[in-house]
Amino acid sequence: MVSYTLRRIAFAIPTLIIVSIGIFLLVRLLPGDIIDILFGGDQTASEEVKQQAREQLGLDGSYAEQYWNWISGVVQGDFGFSLRNAEPVSNIVFDAMTVTLELVILALLIATIVGVPLGVLSAVKRDTGWDLGARVGGLVGLSVPSFWLATLLLLFTSRAFGWVPPLVYISPFDDPVANLSQFILPALSISVFTMAIVMRMVRATMLEVLGQDYVRTARAKGVGRKTVVSKHALRNALIPVVTIIGFEIGVLIGGAAIIETIFGLPGVGYVLLQAIFGRDYPVIQAMTLLIAFTFIFANLLVDLLYGVLDPRISQE
Amino acid sequence: MSDESSGGSAGGEIDRRELLKKAGAVGAGAVAASALTGTAKAATKRPRATPIKRGGRIVWGLESDPAHVAPFGGILTANHWAKEFAYDSLVEWDRNLNVRPALAEKYEILNKTQIRWTLKKGVRFHNGKELTAADVKYSVERMLNPPLPGSISTVAQVPAIDRVQVVSKYVFILHLKQPDARVIGFFAWQRYAPIVPEGLYDQINVARNAIGTGPYRMLGYEPNDRVEYVKFARHWKTGFPYMDSMQLKILGDEQARVAALRAGAIDGATLSVEVARSLANNRDLTVLKGPNAAFRELQMTIKRGEDKPWHKKAVRLAVNHAINRADIIRRVYSGEAEYSGHVPPGYGPWPLSDKELREKYEKFDLPLARKLMRDAGHARGFSVTMTTFALQDYPLISAVVQSQLKAINIDVQIVAQEAGTFAANNGRGTFDWDLTGRGMRGDVDGYVAEFHPAAPVFNIWYPEYRNPKAWRGIGNGRIQLDPAKRVPIYKAAQRELMLDPVQVPLVAIKKYQVVRKRVKNMYVAFSDFNTGLRNVWLDR
Repeated sequence: MVSYTLRRIAFAIPTLIIVSIGIFLLVRLLPGDIIDILFGGDQTASEEVKQQAREQLGLDGSYAEQYWNWISGVVQGDFGFSLRNAEPVSNIVFDAMTVTLELVILALLIATIVGVPLGVLSAVKRDTGWDLGARVGGLVGLSVPSFWLATLLLLFTSRAFGWVPPLVYISPFDDPVANLSQFILPALSISVFTMAIVMRMVRATMLEVLGQDYVRTARAKGVGRKTVVSKHALRNALIPVVTIIGFEIGVLIGGAAIIETIFGLPGVGYVLLQAIFGRDYPVIQAMTLLIAFTFIFANLLVDLLYGVLDPRISQE
Repeated sequence: MSDESSGGSAGGEIDRRELLKKAGAVGAGAVAASALTGTAKAATKRPRATPIKRGGRIVWGLESDPAHVAPFGGILTANHWAKEFAYDSLVEWDRNLNVRPALAEKYEILNKTQIRWTLKKGVRFHNGKELTAADVKYSVERMLNPPLPGSISTVAQVPAIDRVQVVSKYVFILHLKQPDARVIGFFAWQRYAPIVPEGLYDQINVARNAIGTGPYRMLGYEPNDRVEYVKFARHWKTGFPYMDSMQLKILGDEQARVAALRAGAIDGATLSVEVARSLANNRDLTVLKGPNAAFRELQMTIKRGEDKPWHKKAVRLAVNHAINRADIIRRVYSGEAEYSGHVPPGYGPWPLSDKELREKYEKFDLPLARKLMRDAGHARGFSVTMTTFALQDYPLISAVVQSQLKAINIDVQIVAQEAGTFAANNGRGTFDWDLTGRGMRGDVDGYVAEFHPAAPVFNIWYPEYRNPKAWRGIGNGRIQLDPAKRVPIYKAAQRELMLDPVQVPLVAIKKYQVVRKRVKNMYVAFSDFNTGLRNVWLDR
């Protein structure tokens, strides 16, 4: 297991290096740099002043030079400074990541807590009203854009109850209840798609597993229906679901951008979006690298979880 | 829908007449009290005699994050939205853009390149320190060379200030490199000219905090989240401000601002025309509107080595007269916009009159436009790519212009771009036509300077453009320090620019802000800032 884990981590390093180069080049391939943004609309600035600004922001070297400066800082934990506000990028990333992680974890929890039982119910009560309801619900969940749902929820609660989630970020350590009331609507909005996927995946795999010989054998031996479903079938049915959840972490972080903007949450997505509009290279690079890292890390966790759910996988 | 905010000036303010008395006539003559003299069209209702209530807290929804709140070198409008309550400058604009004394008691023109300023005595910064001429010297030096996180790009907005000579604790002389009439407007605008205590950058993290003389003391700025203020009880305007505290909450999504307004989570915000109008019947809300410095225009390039149809003056004039601005106002802005020349309506006495624009310079006249195209040898028209922003009203106004220009056989291809891409192409002159917008300027010169060959951008955008009469006016206007003499100079220059347009002004749009009923004395500032919030009180 340890060597397996180390091997996976070793594979992750070149991936991250390739991603870092890709990110670095891609943000510079965007038309317009921060100098264009800073001077946009200013018709009186001379080239000398623009060059001065470039030097002030450390953008006057070659791409290779700039990449080396950046990546050598990153491996030492120094992500540089924001071009827009001169704040250390590591501070910006940490603050934003705290918000997004909470949002994503809450969304995954909602998606799993609702999606898995619904999938099981749908499979166990196949072709009944329960099954039909769950399947239709799943289709709706897949079809409804999260930003639309978020806006709708926000407008609905404001009109019906004269209530919107607290506007200023509240740490869960300061006030857990207020924090939950702040995150519940955004987490719900963002979780619906994942919830639908999880529900459909659980239903499909459960149907497959329930038809397996070992399930029939267990029933023939007189094991109760609940035990068969929860101990024998569900555990095996969860393997592909875990994979999906691993992938969904990346999707949720990406999708959080719009949701965070709508609810005014200063998370990774929102900050990244602002950085892209402002061509704030160090922030874009750090945030994107972090998202890539999270994605790789989540998939590593998924692989390790396979081993727990099915010990044959790690042995192979 | 109406502007229900009660107007009126705050206690302790000095009106323009008093300022005129105070500004003595010395040397080359006194600079009249106002760089933007005259009454803007913005909210001119008489003050309502409602007793002001003190105390309370207001939460205002900001459309975007300021990135930082550093006093100097802030390029984003949102930077000033976030910091404007913490700082004052030497002079200020009232709601009608009249210049009034602020931290300076008076100023005198000693000669064409020297202005002597006398500061008010007893003005305190938020840290308790008294304002002196040394603070002004420190501040002006940073206006001329903004440290990080500011950008030196804002230096281009600073007039030709050479240095500050401290004469005594409260008196200093502002030395100019050359005569420059933009000085007073620059300070009144305040955007790039706040006065801070000497050594500020060594005392606090200016990206997150502020020390100024403004009516509210900043408690801090949380990036992408909020700015917190509390009342500064020792503000130089006695009895001012009225509220105890203020929070500026960053809410980028318009529907989120609407929901927060409905729920009472915020007390006011800027909204788009249609959204603001949809709230007009809400009994808890008041919809305010007012003219705004933003106007839309069609820019063209006239570059060396190219031979594009619009290089001919007749074609540019044809485009100008083929555009039906009344139709744009009706279709794009539901009637909530005005004709605009190169200087937007509402900008003091400087813009050309609406009548002049409608009936002459921007008259919709298709037969004339067709004749001009024929005379230029382009009766069959041509194709052109027009770039614009992929946001707000720009795609819509572009589509209307596109349909209107079909009448003179111009086939406009619209390319909508993200703001950064658009800015890059615009700044480098890599476009044929751009449909773009303009904003507030500290002085009228800011609206026309780019048409003069001395402007760096002139050689990027239209090096082949020739308009000596307009050039003369723009050049003379900048060095003429007497506003009364400047007005006809700039009007004449604008007329020359309209007779040979290289940028075709379209329309000036109105700005909408929605506040809860309890918010009193708020107004929509022409400058695009939220200056009205300084005077707000809450009817609790």
